[in-house]
Amino acid sequence: MSEERKKGAGTTTGEAFAVVGKSKPRLDALDKVTGKLKYLGDVEYAGILHGAVLRSPYPHALIKKIDVSRARALPGVITVMTADDIPGRNGFGAITPDQPVICKDKVRFVGDGVALVAAVDEKTAIKALGLINVDYEQLPAVFSPIEALRSGAPKVHESGNLITTSRIEKGDVEQGFATADVILERTYEVPFLEHVYLEPDVTVAVPSADGTMTVYGPMQALFTTRRNVAPVLGIPVNRVRCVGTTPGGGFGGKEDSAVDTAVRAAVLSWKTGKPVRLEYSREEIMLSTCKRHPMILTCKIGAKKDGTFVAFVGTVYNEQGAYASLGPVLPPAGGVHAHAVVMLAGPYEIPNVKVEGYLVYTNHPYGGAMRGFGAPQANFAHESLVDELADLLEMDPCELRMKNSFTLGSHTATGQVLDQSVGLRETMEEAGKAFGWDEKRKPIPDRKKAVEEEKRTGHGMAIGWYRTSIGTAADGVGANVHLLEDGSVIVYQGLVEMGQGMHTGIAQIAAEALGVALEDVRVVTPDTDSAPESGPTVGSRCLTLMGNAILIAAQQIKEPLMQSASELLETPVERLVARDRYIFDRDNPAKRLELKEAARRTMAMGRRMVGQGWYTPPKATLDPKTGQGSPYFVYSYATQMAEVEVDMRTGEVAVKKIASAFDIGKAINPMLLEGQIDGGIGMGLGYALMEKVILDEGVTQNLGLKDYLIPTSLDMPEITAAIIEKHNIHGPYGAKGIGEMPNIPTPAALNNAVANAIGSRIYEVPIDSEAVWKAIRGQKK
Amino acid sequence: MAKETVEFTVNGKGVSLEVEPGEMLVDVLRERLGLTGTKAGCREGECGVCSVIMNGALVAACLMPIKKAQGTAILTIEGLEANGELDSVQKRFIEHGAVQCGFCTPAMVLAGKALLDKNPRPTREEIQLAISGILCRCTGYQKIIKAIDAASQSGTRGEA
Repeated sequence: MSEERKKGAGTTTGEAFAVVGKSKPRLDALDKVTGKLKYLGDVEYAGILHGAVLRSPYPHALIKKIDVSRARALPGVITVMTADDIPGRNGFGAITPDQPVICKDKVRFVGDGVALVAAVDEKTAIKALGLINVDYEQLPAVFSPIEALRSGAPKVHESGNLITTSRIEKGDVEQGFATADVILERTYEVPFLEHVYLEPDVTVAVPSADGTMTVYGPMQALFTTRRNVAPVLGIPVNRVRCVGTTPGGGFGGKEDSAVDTAVRAAVLSWKTGKPVRLEYSREEIMLSTCKRHPMILTCKIGAKKDGTFVAFVGTVYNEQGAYASLGPVLPPAGGVHAHAVVMLAGPYEIPNVKVEGYLVYTNHPYGGAMRGFGAPQANFAHESLVDELADLLEMDPCELRMKNSFTLGSHTATGQVLDQSVGLRETMEEAGKAFGWDEKRKPIPDRKKAVEEEKRTGHGMAIGWYRTSIGTAADGVGANVHLLEDGSVIVYQGLVEMGQGMHTGIAQIAAEALGVALEDVRVVTPDTDSAPESGPTVGSRCLTLMGNAILIAAQQIKEPLMQSASELLETPVERLVARDRYIFDRDNPAKRLELKEAARRTMAMGRRMVGQGWYTPPKATLDPKTGQGSPYFVYSYATQMAEVEVDMRTGEVAVKKIASAFDIGKAINPMLLEGQIDGGIGMGLGYALMEKVILDEGVTQNLGLKDYLIPTSLDMPEITAAIIEKHNIHGPYGAKGIGEMPNIPTPAALNNAVANAIGSRIYEVPIDSEAVWKAIRGQKK
Repeated sequence: MAKETVEFTVNGKGVSLEVEPGEMLVDVLRERLGLTGTKAGCREGECGVCSVIMNGALVAACLMPIKKAQGTAILTIEGLEANGELDSVQKRFIEHGAVQCGFCTPAMVLAGKALLDKNPRPTREEIQLAISGILCRCTGYQKIIKAIDAASQSGTRGEA
């Protein structure tokens, strides 16, 4: 217990919390329901120029010549830039800068940027794009990761199409399979997916006389953006200021797309010496910004008759598309690819595991971060596979999972021992109770009779796991916490409130730790000129890691504050408790003073009023040869159970109910937590049933939201969510991550429910009516 | 093409504007009247975040030529507070956690308001239908539906 206190908790441990664990309305709710909150697109800048990007119509071509003279001559055009006009490095990227700000010699996907325009208004800028003449020489292109690995395949980049191979090897899979009674091997395919954050991408870049460039935008990763803008302009990092505006959704996309718009707006601003706005239309976003990685995943599992898993082999062909974005391995275990490979064997204890993953360039749009970061793809594969294995074994799929799933002390595929905070089996129990699994679930019906019926109901489930971190050493976060003389508090930090509720959560942690009310804490909009380095707003890391940094900072302020209170109350510090704006004697609560009086004295005595917290999570390890190590320091766990109704004549799937349960450590704000669960399940439902970027010879066919469908209110069933709070010793008050966990098991849960209804299985998403109709009739899609 | 004068009311106040043919209501609200609570997300009537109430009905302002606003009464999110007090739909959105990134929130609140003005006791299905023209990528619609239900006469009246 004392260990927990030291690591995680504030000073009120042992008592019920005053602020933490309460379903407080989010701090920005009032500004949002009244429409007063300003997104960047709502802010007017007088005299601002408007940028636009000329995009490649070809998936792979050499640029032979660009003639911009007619565009430059158009009245209202201030500048037209080509590759030679970039002042510094002509490349950007979240991990490796392989994407040109403006392409020089060749284009690698439909949507690649070949010229930039700044004009007095948007109309003129777009008109100017039409006046630029580019001579292209088309090159053979490659659109599949497997094709791209063949010898003689067109090279997307000079370095070759294979970006990286990742592997995990534990035990001896051959020996493992030799002991198996049942072996099942299947291949799964998942497509590119669009984030569909509702606020379009936009950046405003403003130059200053002192050579500083300020970039405003709905960035998910301010420091990544700063790290890219500086070298592109050829200036030191401290000459770039990134100011985060409230994102209207991000879901991983704005980790990358905000860098894209920022570097381009910044070079236009540098060239013209004027503020420049660069906003992408919905079609442009769908054409050119990062997507969820498509993957082809082959998995083979072996089990004993009693259901015990003995071996697993997986191969992943992970399509990166034209540019690296967040795909590559950032050692030891950062990047989408490493994560997908680590997750592929699922949350199961399997003694013999081998996984190989190939990350490959193609001439498609590129994969980046999207909620789940490689895990949803892996989950769809392992959870569809395990479910089908249950059919083969004639076992209940929940029982089979219960038998093999992680519990305290389990060894993962990377050999990591899960020595704390493992509540996966409890999530199965709780979801099962809420769903009525044991009563509802029936074995798969005989497919032959299927077409004769009009409608069938099916029940399916999936489980999942997700990390709370990014898997690299660069996972540290900083926070500056200021106590003011009236007892109010300001928090400066660099992680972004993009809707998930994280700023409210960290304000609750700060309020709890300092003994003030939630309303007394103001979390300042992230600004790299005032916020300490915090890394990106990703990886379900933010509340946990930043919460810890805030607790460290708060402790530095708390000591002098309590010293002041001790003097005023003439009571030893050890007996004092700060809570709800008062500091009181634990043994005699009537003996108290208002916290602000102690704050005033702290100030008057010249004592410390500023805390600086820096938190580095436990070290990530993963041997690049064997894939053995502890890549992420803690995991969250989930179970989802779904009831679907399938129209056997049309193949249409209606989701009737989803019961879920999550182990996410301490729920800092249960209401906002539920919001993450509801939204994640909604996103997972879209992945399962309707979403796919359709590409034909590298050209996106469904640009725009009338052709790329996401779930509406009519698609959503009622969702129940049980919360299991397995204390995380590395989390503030025991918390761990939730942001990405909820959408991960949904596609497989729905796929398994559909299989239970129709009696045959589908191996790709989306499981749309065509796929279901064909599966019912024994045809492939 | 000649400019025309269009007259209508926004949030109870009369507006008279010279407009260009082809101007859309969303741009007039946002750029000429400064009512930026109305958002633009796709400009093709698919995402619905530009929804406002026109003569009592929810419309997508990005597909509404400004000339069609002639003589109408338009309500935007900025007009929902009365005497400094939030509308009950706004209050329930806050209490029930129906807000996340907030980009669809003004439209969703207005959709709830338009529904409840006509149908004070909607079923869950009627609420789902009433907001089905507006996309939300954050909430899975669950708490939005709950908040509108709570604001209705059949609802829990914010007991949560």
